[in-house]
Amino acid sequence: MSDSAARVEGLRVSLVRDGVRSDVLRGIDLTVGRGEILGMVGESGSGKSVLALAMMGLLPVAADPQVDGTIRVGDVDMVHGSPEQLRAVRRNELGVIFQDPMTSLNPTMRVGAQITEATHDSAESIRLMSAVGIADAPLRFTVYPHELSGGLRQRIMAAIAVAGRPSLIIADEPTTALDVTVQAQVLDLLRELRDEFGCSVMLITHDLAVAAQIADRVAVMYAGRIAEIGATEEIIHRPTHPYTVGLLRSRLSLDTPRDRRLLTLRPETASAAERMKGCAYHSRCPLAVERCATEQPPLAPASQGDTAGTADTATEHLRACWRTVADVQGYTHETSDATPIASLARPGASADTTATPAAPAVRITDLTTVFALKGGGRRKRQVHALRGVDLTVAAGEAVSIVGESGSGKSTLLRVIAGLAPATTGRVELAGRGAQMVFQDAGSSLTPWLTVGDILRERLRPAKLDRAAASRRIGDALEAIGLPETVAALRPAQLSGGQRQRVALARATIIPPSVLLCDEPTSALDASLAASVLNLIRELRRSLDMTVLFVTHDLAVARLMGDRVVVMTEGTIVESGDADDVIHHPEHPYTRSLLASVPDIGVLS
Amino acid sequence: MFRFIVRRAGSAVVLMLVLSAIIFVLQAVSPGDPVKAYLGANASPEAIAAKREELGLNAPIYAQYLRFIANLLQGDLGQSFRTHRPVLTDLQSFLPATLELVIFSFLVAVLLGVLFAVSGSLRWKGGALFRGPLLVLAAAPPFLLALGGIVLFYAQLGWLPANGRGVDSSSPTGFVILDSILTGQPASIGLAFQHLLLPGVVLAIAPAIAIGRILRSSLDATMNADYVRTAESKGLTPFTVLRRHVVRNSIGPGLSMAGLQLGFMFAGVVVVEQIFSWPGIGNYLAGSIPVSDFPAIAGVTLVLGTVYIVTNAIVDILQVAADPRLAA
Repeated sequence: MSDSAARVEGLRVSLVRDGVRSDVLRGIDLTVGRGEILGMVGESGSGKSVLALAMMGLLPVAADPQVDGTIRVGDVDMVHGSPEQLRAVRRNELGVIFQDPMTSLNPTMRVGAQITEATHDSAESIRLMSAVGIADAPLRFTVYPHELSGGLRQRIMAAIAVAGRPSLIIADEPTTALDVTVQAQVLDLLRELRDEFGCSVMLITHDLAVAAQIADRVAVMYAGRIAEIGATEEIIHRPTHPYTVGLLRSRLSLDTPRDRRLLTLRPETASAAERMKGCAYHSRCPLAVERCATEQPPLAPASQGDTAGTADTATEHLRACWRTVADVQGYTHETSDATPIASLARPGASADTTATPAAPAVRITDLTTVFALKGGGRRKRQVHALRGVDLTVAAGEAVSIVGESGSGKSTLLRVIAGLAPATTGRVELAGRGAQMVFQDAGSSLTPWLTVGDILRERLRPAKLDRAAASRRIGDALEAIGLPETVAALRPAQLSGGQRQRVALARATIIPPSVLLCDEPTSALDASLAASVLNLIRELRRSLDMTVLFVTHDLAVARLMGDRVVVMTEGTIVESGDADDVIHHPEHPYTRSLLASVPDIGVLS
Repeated sequence: MFRFIVRRAGSAVVLMLVLSAIIFVLQAVSPGDPVKAYLGANASPEAIAAKREELGLNAPIYAQYLRFIANLLQGDLGQSFRTHRPVLTDLQSFLPATLELVIFSFLVAVLLGVLFAVSGSLRWKGGALFRGPLLVLAAAPPFLLALGGIVLFYAQLGWLPANGRGVDSSSPTGFVILDSILTGQPASIGLAFQHLLLPGVVLAIAPAIAIGRILRSSLDATMNADYVRTAESKGLTPFTVLRRHVVRNSIGPGLSMAGLQLGFMFAGVVVVEQIFSWPGIGNYLAGSIPVSDFPAIAGVTLVLGTVYIVTNAIVDILQVAADPRLAA
C-alpha cells in the first residue's frame, strides 16, 4: 500500500463548452497524502472543480472530455480504468461533498434511503448520521431533504461521503452555499472526519481563508495549472507566487482600511491563446518580465537550496514562477499604494450625520411582513419574515444590513423596493425612489435584450430622443468602467463581473435616492467582488445616493456601511457605527457571527 | 397524502357540478325546440303542449335544473330524439368501443413518447431515425393520417382492415378484446387487434410527440441535476441511477402532459371513429349533432367532461405521490 490516498500525474483535460474545445487542466501533478487535508484554492475557471470530477471519473460526457495523464486512487487509474473499476473506486475509496446540499440530495427520496444506497445497511446509516453530528438520527432517517436545514443537509452529504470508509473525501466548495456559522461547523466536521475515520480530505474552495482554517497543505490553482503548493503556513505567510500574493491582498478582512480603494488584481487582457504560451498569469502580474509571456514556468522548489531529489515531496514548497522568491517577497512587503477614495473624505460625511439632521432618505416604522405558505391542509403555515423593524437612514448615509439566511434582510430590502408586501407598518422613501441590484446579475438581466436595450428601457420616463438616450447610455457605461461597445452585447456575452456592472448601470442611469444592494458580490471571485465594491462606493459619492447594502459577509458589511445593522429572525438586534459593531459587538448573536468568520490571522 | 386525495376528489365533484350546469344552460338556450325534435314537425299543438308538460319544460328554470341534476344522479340522461332510446342505454353500448380505442391508443402514445424521450436523452444510436419520421407524421392532421394509413395499409398493402371492430360489439362487456380473452377465443383477439391497430396508432401520433418532448426535456434537466452526480459518486450503476433517481424526478411534467393528452384524445376520437366507422360515442355524437339531438349531445359531453376531470384528478394525485414536496 502506498503512502498516498491519490496521486495525479501529468493530468491534462480538455472539454467542449458552448461548442469550443478548451484546455481546462494543463499538466497537474499532485499527491494527496494519507490522512492529509489538502486545500485546493482558485478562482472560478481555474479548473479546480474539473480536477475533482476527473478524480471521480465523472467528467461530463456531454463535454466530450479528452484526458491525458494518470490519476491513481487506490490501485485504479481513474483515467484509463473500466467503468466497473471506476464505480468500485467511487463505492469504496472515494466520498464526495458538493457545494449545495439542497440540490445535491435527491428531493424525492428520504435521506435515510440516500445514505443507505452507499452503506447498504440502514443501521449503519443511522450510526453514520449520529457520527456526523445529527441529533435524533433515527427520527431524521425518514425525512426528505427539504425538511432539513442547510447545515443538517450538508451533514447528510457528509454521512454519504464517509459511508464505506473511503480513503479520500473530495469536498467541492462544501461551505460556499452556507451561512458563516454553519460554514464553521462544516469545516470542523471535515477535520473530525479526518481525525475519526483517518481519511484524507481534498477541500476545494475559492477562499484561501477557508482552506487555511483546516488544511495541512494548500495548492493554489490558476488557469488549469498549480501556481504554488506548500504547507498552509508557508503559503499564507510566505507566499512565493505573485498570484497567491494578489489573492491574499485582495481578500477582505475585518481590518481592511475603509477609506481606501480595495486592492484588485489587474483584469485579464491577454487572449486565451496568448495565455497558453507563457505563464497564464503574465498579463495580470505586476512583476511580469518578457520571459513570462513566452515560456511556461515549471513547478519548482521555492527554496533555492533544495534539490527535488532530496526533499520530501509531500511537504515541499513548490512554485511556478520565473521571478525569484526574493523579488516576489519584496513585492509582498511593499507598502500598499492603494489610492484613498478621494471623495470618501467628504468632510464630516458620516461623523456629522447626527449633528446635521438631514431629512431621512428611508424611514421604516414597525414593519412586519408575514408570508402565508400555501397548502398544508387546515393548518396554514405562516412565516414571519419581518417582526417589527424600525430603521431610519439619513440622506447620503450608507447602511449595511448583515444576517444569515432567513434573517429577513433580503425581505426588508424587497419591501423597501416595493417588491414584497408590508403586512403592517410604514415605509417612507425620499425623492427619486429606490433602485435595486440583485445577487445574481446573470438572471436579473433579460437575456434576449442587449445591454443598450436594457438601459434604454429605464430611460423611457425621461423621454429623450434617440441620440440623447444613446449619449446617456454611453455615459452610464463609462461611469461603471465599461466601453461603449458593450451596449451592443447581450448579457450572456459578458463575464460575471461585467454583468454586475451593467446591473449597477441600470440602477443608476437615472440616479435614485436610494440604492438597494442585495448581496451583489457574493457570487463573484474575491478580486472581481472588490472592484464592484469599489464601484458602488464611488457611485454613491458621485451620484449622491443613499445606500442600503445587504450581505452575509461581515467584512463587506463593515466596508460598505457607515453604519452596520445586524438582523436575525426578522428583527434588528444591533445597530451602530460600522467599526464599533465589528470590533466591539454587544449582542451575543453578533458575537457568534464574528466568531465564525474564517480569518487568516487566526493562524498566527 | 390522504387529506390531499380527499381535497382533490372534493374539487373534482365541484367541477362536475359546474360542468353539468354549463350543459344544462346550453340545452336551455339552444334554439332547437326539443319537443318538436321529439314529436316531429307535424305534431298537433295539443300533443306539443302535453309533451312540454310531461318533460317539465313549463316549470321555472331552476326547478328544471334541479330535476336535471336529480335525474342525472339516478342515471337518467333523458331520451335520444334520434334513436328513441334512453341516452344511458346508448352510451352503455357505444362507450366501451371508444374506451377500448382510446385506452389502446393512449398506451401506444405513452410507449412512443417514452421511446422518443429516452432515445433522445440517452443518445441512443439510430434514435433519430425513429424520432424524425414520428415528428413528420405528428405534423399531419389526424384525418390526413387516417386517410393515408387506409390508402397504404388497407388499399395498397392489404395488411390491415379499415373499418369497424371486426368482432360483434354486443359481447358481454362491450370490450371485445377483454371478452375474447375471458372467453378464450384467440382468433377474435387477433381480429379485434387488427382492427384496433390503424385507428389506434393514428390517434396516438400527436399525443406521443407531445408527451415525448416534455418528458425529454425533463429527463435532460434531471440527468444534469446535482443529485444525479451525487448518485453517480456513490458508484451506482447507470441503470440504478436512472431507475432510482432520474425517473421519479422527471416524471412530473410527463404525467401532466399525458393527462392533458388523454383528455384531448377523447375529443379527437370523434374524427377518427367516423373515418374508421368505429361504433363508439364519437360516431354517436357525430350522428346526433346534425339533428340537434340534445339529450344525446349532453350525455356524451358529460361523459367526456367526467373523463377529463377524473383523469386530471388522478394525475394530480400521482404527481404528489412522485414528489413529496408538493404535498406540503
